Amino acid sequence: MKSALKWDVIAKCGTTKARAAVLTLPHGPVNAPVFMPVGTQGTLKGITPDQIEGLGCQIMLNNTYHLGLRPGQELLDTCGGAHVFQGWNRNLLTDSGGFQMVSLLKLAEITEKGVQFESPHDGSLMLLTPEHSMSLQNSIGADIMMQLDDVVSSLTTGPRVEEAMWRSIRWLDRCIKAHKKPESQNLFAIIQGGLDPALRKQCIEEMVKRDTPGYAIGGLSGGEEKDKFWRVVSQCTDLMPREKPIYCMGVGYAEDLVVCVALGVDMFDCVFPTRTARFGNALTATGTLSLRQAKFKDDFRPIEEGCDCIACKSYTRAYLYTIVTKETVGCHLISIHNTAYQLRLMRQVRESIIEDRFPQFIHKFFKDLFVEKSAYPEWAVNALKSVNVDLIQGEEQL
Amino acid sequence: MTSPLKFQIKQASTKTSGAGESARCGTFALSQPASTVPDQQHVKRTIETPGCLMYSQKGAVPHLTPDNLRQQSFGGVNVSLEHILQTDQPGSFSKWPETSPISQFNGYKFTLSEYLRLQDLITFCDLRDYSFAADTFRHPTSPPAKKLASNTDHHTVLSTPKGIRQLTLDGYLKTVRHYRPDVVVAMADTIAETTTPNEKRVRKSVERSLKWLDQILLERNGQDGTIADRRVEEEKKRRRERKEKKRNAAAAAKAAGEQQEHEQKQEQDQVHGEYKKGEEIYIEPIPSEPWTDVGLFVTVGGAHLEESRVWSAQETAKKEGVDGFVIDTLSLSELDKDSRLKHVQTSLAHLPENKPKLLYGLHAPEDVLEAVAMGIDLFDTSYPFQLTEDGKASLYYYGPRPAGQDKSNSNTLRSINLWDDEHGDKFVPILEGCGCYACKDNKHTRAYINHLLKTHEMLATVLLMGHNMYQYSQFFTLVRESIQDGTLQENSVAFGATFGKEPIRTLEKHPNQVIVEAALQKRNQRLDGAEEGVVGVIGMGSAVPSLGAAVGAEDVEMEDGNKSNKKRHESDEAGEDGGSKDEVVEKKVKKAAESSSSPL
Repeated sequence: MKSALKWDVIAKCGTTKARAAVLTLPHGPVNAPVFMPVGTQGTLKGITPDQIEGLGCQIMLNNTYHLGLRPGQELLDTCGGAHVFQGWNRNLLTDSGGFQMVSLLKLAEITEKGVQFESPHDGSLMLLTPEHSMSLQNSIGADIMMQLDDVVSSLTTGPRVEEAMWRSIRWLDRCIKAHKKPESQNLFAIIQGGLDPALRKQCIEEMVKRDTPGYAIGGLSGGEEKDKFWRVVSQCTDLMPREKPIYCMGVGYAEDLVVCVALGVDMFDCVFPTRTARFGNALTATGTLSLRQAKFKDDFRPIEEGCDCIACKSYTRAYLYTIVTKETVGCHLISIHNTAYQLRLMRQVRESIIEDRFPQFIHKFFKDLFVEKSAYPEWAVNALKSVNVDLIQGEEQL
Repeated sequence: MTSPLKFQIKQASTKTSGAGESARCGTFALSQPASTVPDQQHVKRTIETPGCLMYSQKGAVPHLTPDNLRQQSFGGVNVSLEHILQTDQPGSFSKWPETSPISQFNGYKFTLSEYLRLQDLITFCDLRDYSFAADTFRHPTSPPAKKLASNTDHHTVLSTPKGIRQLTLDGYLKTVRHYRPDVVVAMADTIAETTTPNEKRVRKSVERSLKWLDQILLERNGQDGTIADRRVEEEKKRRRERKEKKRNAAAAAKAAGEQQEHEQKQEQDQVHGEYKKGEEIYIEPIPSEPWTDVGLFVTVGGAHLEESRVWSAQETAKKEGVDGFVIDTLSLSELDKDSRLKHVQTSLAHLPENKPKLLYGLHAPEDVLEAVAMGIDLFDTSYPFQLTEDGKASLYYYGPRPAGQDKSNSNTLRSINLWDDEHGDKFVPILEGCGCYACKDNKHTRAYINHLLKTHEMLATVLLMGHNMYQYSQFFTLVRESIQDGTLQENSVAFGATFGKEPIRTLEKHPNQVIVEAALQKRNQRLDGAEEGVVGVIGMGSAVPSLGAAVGAEDVEMEDGNKSNKKRHESDEAGEDGGSKDEVVEKKVKKAAESSSSPL
């Protein structure tokens, strides 16, 4: 299949499966591993495009389903796509609208044809087929588009999982056929198969045959046990083509990012940083600060020492305590900080891979975040052990 | 005493006679604009007058993060004490960390400017938020501003985020000493418990304000301004003690029986003997720390009574050490605009020309023009803020139509409402040729902002605020130019002819906003469980996409997501405080007491 991207691995970790790369897309280069902030409705929660650029963000997400509703396909066609619409000149990635199937399940009816949604806004019916999703995504004009997949919750068991996997392959074929702009937009396939290694293997085999510019691991981040989650991720990265970017959808929390990078994942997205910001929670390397708590009343330190975002350069926790959740500026500041935090984390991860000291970075990261080894999440310890990083014993050997 | 503020009048308009004669251009600045702390490179901006202080809530200009804020050319910020006084100790931020390198410099005291990160902007500190006091476009039946309890001889009443608070003179002085703003307004008895005060109340307010002013001036110079109050307190205390003793003595006598009566009587005489009625109580004067580095503005009031207004202005004008005046309009809000302006004029007539005057409330552009013509120098930016809250964007201009604006404003509208459907497919900026960050390079279109409003996204108000503030500053720039070249009157007449009056603000939300909010509610109900989230924004807020409703699309979807990380990331849940595991127990105990979620 035609590709509109270039994937150049510039360094590989000597210990884990991690790699650092440059992903060149139509709207510019992206340093990988990369975390993509989510601007669902064509905006990143009160942050201007200039500010997002200022944070060093090179790619962000928009949501096809939501943009398809508002402003709608016609308007996007008129103005020339989502980039122009929101004043964002760097890269965009759109998901197909498929995830809403899981999240809005009460309102969706899934058939071979497609997914019929009852719009939560006004109850009207919308049929999302692979063809319609491609059409919408072509109008949006994102640099990376995701296939419409039949997503099941990772907690689902039984024949439904396999059914969804095969259907996703069939829908991938329909997507490829319907995709009108492969020379400027990259279609990524999404590996399904739930938590079943056999199904995953089969899915990968089939989808690799379709030779899309990149691949995503889908159907996870739905509340499944973390221990199962990492094993699926690891299996996928083992079997997926290494000369293409690998994207794990819906991941997430800082420790998840670090572990998944070690397991070989290159791209991530998650609403968490911007969403939690609106509730006044700031992410730092040593944990989350819930700035609504009265204990910050007299804490005159910035959110995070050494952070160069506008929130940390300007204000103290004490002042932020007075305005979070009460003034929109408070919300903007924490959103900016959390996005800066996530992007900085990935930058540090990438640098450590390039300098081949990623294992040391991992050790330090977990120590800063969890302090006591007994507090390290077991799944993370196991996952990292599988790629030769022993969080509990290993530090001494470095 | 040399003033910490410098106000220089550039040129009074001499070219026009009659209306506009009193208009003048000037510069308002600190005498020492550069920071004297090492490693601090800040230099305070100068305010060109007529000009504005930026309206703020809780010390932050609404919707503008520090970087976006600095793109505005205004030189100062108006901070209302009642927004930020949080604790009983006004100097709560005097506990700046000792490890900071700055704190090691000769006991440097952290100021309000530092705390709010406004070191490069003139920090003007008033007690209350008067910005909406005398809006000329307020809906006649809109709920009046919160009526507070009356001030007394001993305190003024503030409406803080944590409730009504009484601020005594002592508290006020302590606050000023700790906060050290660049300019502070003297504590005054501004009538807030009624919009129709009677004559007695008005006279009392002027009297009280003048008394407090005298005390404040003494304190500012390092003398004991509260000695008279303390003497009164001491007298009261002694009287109480005497009464108590008498009561105890009487009780003892009764218990002891009649044999003791004679002894007790003797004791009572002794008690009386300690203090002879009429004798003055000696109170040790306390030398106070002067704050002559803080500029002082004084409010001249007198409500709607001419005599009182004259008296207030005349007496205030006599005082030494006053750097500028605030013309009170809070108590004029029931009157029509012309009457209000008449009273403003009355005050102005008795104030010295060479000092700056600030006016709240009369801030729609046409009102500004009338006030400027009378000699007002300073306003605030609550007008662009109000427009933003309503989803409106300014299109007005002053003087000749700016080049390049022909296309988008051929109707000579003074503003557009971005909620209107007609903007839904207009891929043009709010105003062609406007240099604000929303319009510049045609980056954000009317269609986009319309979309943002309809999807309840906060970027809408960020863009609108940036634009409206910018337009307001452009307006003032052109007004100043007109004063300089003598075209103020003719341009003001032309402005009135072109743009008319600010339409009365409606009480209802825009119909599209109603639809959006209803749909949001319905959706949340349908999806069974997404909570409204956190508290909405305090303030006018009728059109502001509230933070509560900004629990957007993806929040609903993440309902079930990532449960396995839920323990450490409890903050996912709508409305709950997050925090580390250690905090969980502590939090449960405190949750009952903490009012962190309660709005104003």
